[in-house]
Amino acid sequence: MKASFFFATPARSLPMRMLWVIAACSVATLLAWPWRELFDPANTAMLYVLAVAIVAARAGKGAAIATALLGSALLDFFFIYPHFTFTIGDAQHIVTLAVMLAVALIIGNLTLSLQREKEAALERERQSRALYQLASQLAGALTLEQVDELTRRFLQKTQACNGMLLMRQGENVLPVAGAQAPLSGKLYYAAQSALRQGAVQATVDEPMQWLFLPLHGSTYIRGVLALSATDTYLLDTERQPLFEAIAALLAASTERLHFVEVAQHAQLQMTDERLRSSILSALSHDIRTPLTVLYGMADTLAQSELPKALHEMADAMRQQTLRLNSMVSNLLDMAKLRAGDIKLNLEWQPVEEVIGASIKLLAPALAQHPVSVKLSPDIPLLRFDAVLMERVLCNLLENAAKYATPGSPIRIAVRTDKKFAHLSVSNDGSQFPPDRLENLFELFERGDSESNIPGVGLGLAICRSIVSAHGGSIHADNDDGACVIFTLPLGEPPVIEPEGESE
Amino acid sequence: MSEPTILLVEDEAQIRRLVRAALAEEGYRVLECGTLKEGLAQLHAETMQLLILDLGLPDGDGIAFIRELRTQFSLPVLVLSARSAEGEKIRALDAGADDYLTKPYSSGELLARVRAQLRRAPQEGTAAETHFCFGDIEVDLAQRSVTRKGTAVRLTPIEYRLLCAMLAEPGKVLTYRHLLSAVWGKAFVESNHYLRIYVSHLRQKLEEDPAQPKHFLTETGVGYRFHP
Repeated sequence: MKASFFFATPARSLPMRMLWVIAACSVATLLAWPWRELFDPANTAMLYVLAVAIVAARAGKGAAIATALLGSALLDFFFIYPHFTFTIGDAQHIVTLAVMLAVALIIGNLTLSLQREKEAALERERQSRALYQLASQLAGALTLEQVDELTRRFLQKTQACNGMLLMRQGENVLPVAGAQAPLSGKLYYAAQSALRQGAVQATVDEPMQWLFLPLHGSTYIRGVLALSATDTYLLDTERQPLFEAIAALLAASTERLHFVEVAQHAQLQMTDERLRSSILSALSHDIRTPLTVLYGMADTLAQSELPKALHEMADAMRQQTLRLNSMVSNLLDMAKLRAGDIKLNLEWQPVEEVIGASIKLLAPALAQHPVSVKLSPDIPLLRFDAVLMERVLCNLLENAAKYATPGSPIRIAVRTDKKFAHLSVSNDGSQFPPDRLENLFELFERGDSESNIPGVGLGLAICRSIVSAHGGSIHADNDDGACVIFTLPLGEPPVIEPEGESE
Repeated sequence: MSEPTILLVEDEAQIRRLVRAALAEEGYRVLECGTLKEGLAQLHAETMQLLILDLGLPDGDGIAFIRELRTQFSLPVLVLSARSAEGEKIRALDAGADDYLTKPYSSGELLARVRAQLRRAPQEGTAAETHFCFGDIEVDLAQRSVTRKGTAVRLTPIEYRLLCAMLAEPGKVLTYRHLLSAVWGKAFVESNHYLRIYVSHLRQKLEEDPAQPKHFLTETGVGYRFHP
């Protein structure tokens, strides 16, 4: 008998099986009938055994047992003496019956297990083909929505269950497709536990069975695949490997999408950055060049021998050009600061150095004001970006010089408390409007909007951006004249080993 | 050739005119051109005492030009930069530039820088000066003595080495990297805070008002400059 005989799909319906029983027994009886005088009944029995074997293979165990019983009855009735009665005259024929039954059982069972194995193999093949198909579809997916859609269609078609892709959002899971209603109650809780514990969770929400599979990415769990069906087969342990394979596929493709997104974002940011810095440097070059020419011309005029009125005009021109330049610098700085990521060049340094440099830089503007610097003793090194801090101090000093009464002093003071260094710049000029002390640091905000003192309200906004980038804060008060105070965190400065004796 | 010759490489005609006028009035001889290529040709054609170079020229990278230049010429280089980015200044200085001016600048500033560079230049190749005087400080390198109003000032070995490194190149902007490798050695070129601490020690001992120094000047984000 060929192996394929056992692999052929057996008759499933009851009438078909009965037909097999009757046909097999009839054929055996009809074949044996003409030879009944010639052959011993034991040999005739072999025909019935053959019939049982065939029925066992083709119509299953039950039909085979029926064939065995019917066959032995027919054998008894037609071929065993006394003919045409069911009386068994010989104990040998009981053995024949027993053998037939045994053959029926053994072959029936054998067929059944082969059948089962075949079905399992077929199922496995079907699953791996389906998985392969899903994998190749997912490889082409460009968005999470597409992954979700493909998965749902796949599960619907091949597993007859509903699928839903839930992605991690911080510590929560949210459905990918916006149209899907978010999970509630115990379903949400089960999804959360799948995410947190990284293990499959099953739950029932009548009439649906739910299964939650975590999507294990290479670094963390990226989300959860929720399966639901009315049938309990979701919980079959046989199906688990398939579902886990789907979850692994989904984890891989969501991770791929994530990295694609990260790479695209980085690329975009880089292009953005390059564009921005080239615009800024072009602006800065193109604006500063005519400013340099203007400033140089005004400067030359102001130094030459001119009638007093003209000389004053030239001098004013020079002053205004400088102011224009400082405004352009402020605008460019603000553009850089606003654009986000300021790259701080943080270094430990003595604060008096940057104070000295700022005063020197603003010497022309501070000509009418004596500047006093008061440092409390033992101020540690502070960690800041010297260039940006110089900008803060210059803006504050420039402001102070603008608003202070001519000839009045400008005071810089530095003191420390446990966590911060407090730097203040104050003058005795007009006070800040008390009701708008906070607004002063907003962009394009000025203490007195009708003031005839030039400015656009950028300086203090830049100061605030820079100071907060350093982890400090800035505020204004009128306690010691008009005073702006900002803080810088103290931290732990590096230790510098003291040196040996002097030479 | 009595008056010093200065080569000006700048692509903006208006700025060229201004700079030339200011320099000519001081009695300098000024040659000018608008591209790096012409500049190089002029340098090969005759001996110059100073190069004033704009960094944003259309025909090439000014910093690479300075590096290239330094393999053949030793004349001082004063850089004009429209950009105020400290990174660019540092790169220009480390490439071999001697000083920089950020636009806009006054002709007063420009002339002061030019004078300082020309004063420095002839000293090269001649015996190094050993005696310095600035403010009320006197330094005698031969004696290894530093006095303030006639009273000896005690400096530690590092402070003394730092003082010497700064005195050696008056008027020149000295980058953090340059000073650190000159005083502490190549291994310390990233330790800017060492340098800042010791400059502050020098100021405490040698400046009248350490908070507003007159000789050991800060070039914020770039380095220091010794102004005699």
